Amino acid sequence: MFKKILIANDGSTSAKNALKVAIDLAKKYNAELHSISVEEGLPHYAATIGEVEEFKHEANNYFRKVNEEAIEMAKKEEVELHVKVLPGHEVETIVNYTREGKFDLLVIGFMGHSKIFGRVWGSSSYNITKLAPCTVIVVK
Amino acid sequence: MENQWLQAALWMGLALGATLLSLRIAISIALLEIMVGVLGGSFLPLHRTEWVNFLAGFGSILLTFLAGAEVDPVVLKKRFKESMTIGIFSFLAPFLGTMAYAYYVAGWGLAQAQIAGISLSTTSVAVVYAVMIETGYNQTELGKLILAACFITDLGTVLALGILFANYDWYMVLFIVVTAIVLFLLPRFTPWFFEKAGSRISEPETKFIFFLLFGLGGLSLFAKSEAVLPAYLVGMVLAPFFLENKTLSHRMRVTAFTMLTPFYFIKAGSLVKVSAIWSCAYLIAIFLLIKMVTKFIGVWPSTKFFGFAKKEDMYTTLLMSTGLTFGTISALFGLTNKIINQEQYTILVTAVILSAVVPTIIAQKWFQPELKKENKDV
Repeated sequence: MFKKILIANDGSTSAKNALKVAIDLAKKYNAELHSISVEEGLPHYAATIGEVEEFKHEANNYFRKVNEEAIEMAKKEEVELHVKVLPGHEVETIVNYTREGKFDLLVIGFMGHSKIFGRVWGSSSYNITKLAPCTVIVVK
Repeated sequence: MENQWLQAALWMGLALGATLLSLRIAISIALLEIMVGVLGGSFLPLHRTEWVNFLAGFGSILLTFLAGAEVDPVVLKKRFKESMTIGIFSFLAPFLGTMAYAYYVAGWGLAQAQIAGISLSTTSVAVVYAVMIETGYNQTELGKLILAACFITDLGTVLALGILFANYDWYMVLFIVVTAIVLFLLPRFTPWFFEKAGSRISEPETKFIFFLLFGLGGLSLFAKSEAVLPAYLVGMVLAPFFLENKTLSHRMRVTAFTMLTPFYFIKAGSLVKVSAIWSCAYLIAIFLLIKMVTKFIGVWPSTKFFGFAKKEDMYTTLLMSTGLTFGTISALFGLTNKIINQEQYTILVTAVILSAVVPTIIAQKWFQPELKKENKDV
């Protein structure tokens, strides 16, 4: 049923739960499994390149660790996980990546990035579900 | 407030507030420090004491040094002709255009008009860089060329600031000769010294750089020049070592962002006269418009000449219309040296801050060229 699955992974507990489901589905349907992590919060209108670079360096280190753990989790279930980290706005980046990569299933955690602002503007999971071009599973 | 520790707590509390807000809303710490400085200067007992002025001045010197040390010499050499042409016109057109408007139309004095011209001639490399990281343009030839051109524009700004208001006497000769010798010897001496001194907790490398910045800054003051000029030049000369030595650049950034630049940016904000923002709103808008129009006049034809693709020309022009750090440094130089008054300072700093935001938004919203997908990875 599903041939190409994408899991949005920001390293949060709910994203880990989503990853478990995605790995399970990838194994069941013998589907390709990819993960996308979005570096949010790059400082706009910075005073020095250093400010941007230091942020990026910290974010890269964080996601490197997150992705190493994710690859290990998938490997235990004999599933190969292809990881990708992109900068930008979380909802826009995930939706665009899903469209461009022609994924037929997107798995996301219920809470993740922007959880405080989510209460005001609508959560990321809600917006991704609304805008994604394919079936979306929201894991609680 | 006479109590210096409470005064320090107030300054650091504002810096902390700006940092926490920056983490939440993804706006740079510098911009938010200026904002809290505006609030602090207007509504809190924020005093600009001697030690605050020293730390703020040191902050601006270190910021300039770091900006110089971020120049990538490989990119600069590779696209030298294009980056030089675009960079020079990107400086000259707004410098002359803004100066002419301030002098002939707004009725400012010549020196005041020169400060206006310098403040609004700048291009913020960091603002441009952040946009490029987000869009993936930093990996492309176009992106690298724009960044290289930004460095040339900043060099023009720093040179103008260091030259236009200086005294041309024997002190100037001494300053030029010593700076030239230091710049000539640094690429040879620095690797040797860094190797001998080694990387230690007592930071001999950082102390060595501070020693140079203070020494050359002191000589520049004798010549009535500006300490940011040698700081930028020393940064440019040492850029290859900083690009290689990530630990050293990280430590210097930590030192700058923790202890020094907050004082600089908060002070820059605290000197803004809130009432003047409203009473001179039209002038602020005109200065912003002039900056953008003159950047267009200076940069756009160059991009056409070098065969930039559709949208790339406007995108480059708009990104080169941004400004922040050097714009505020120039305006603050004018105010500190009593060349401009607080109202003029407010006009210039507000226009500079708006120039960090407005062209960026327009460029990203309407003129972002298509980017090959393979370039978009982190």
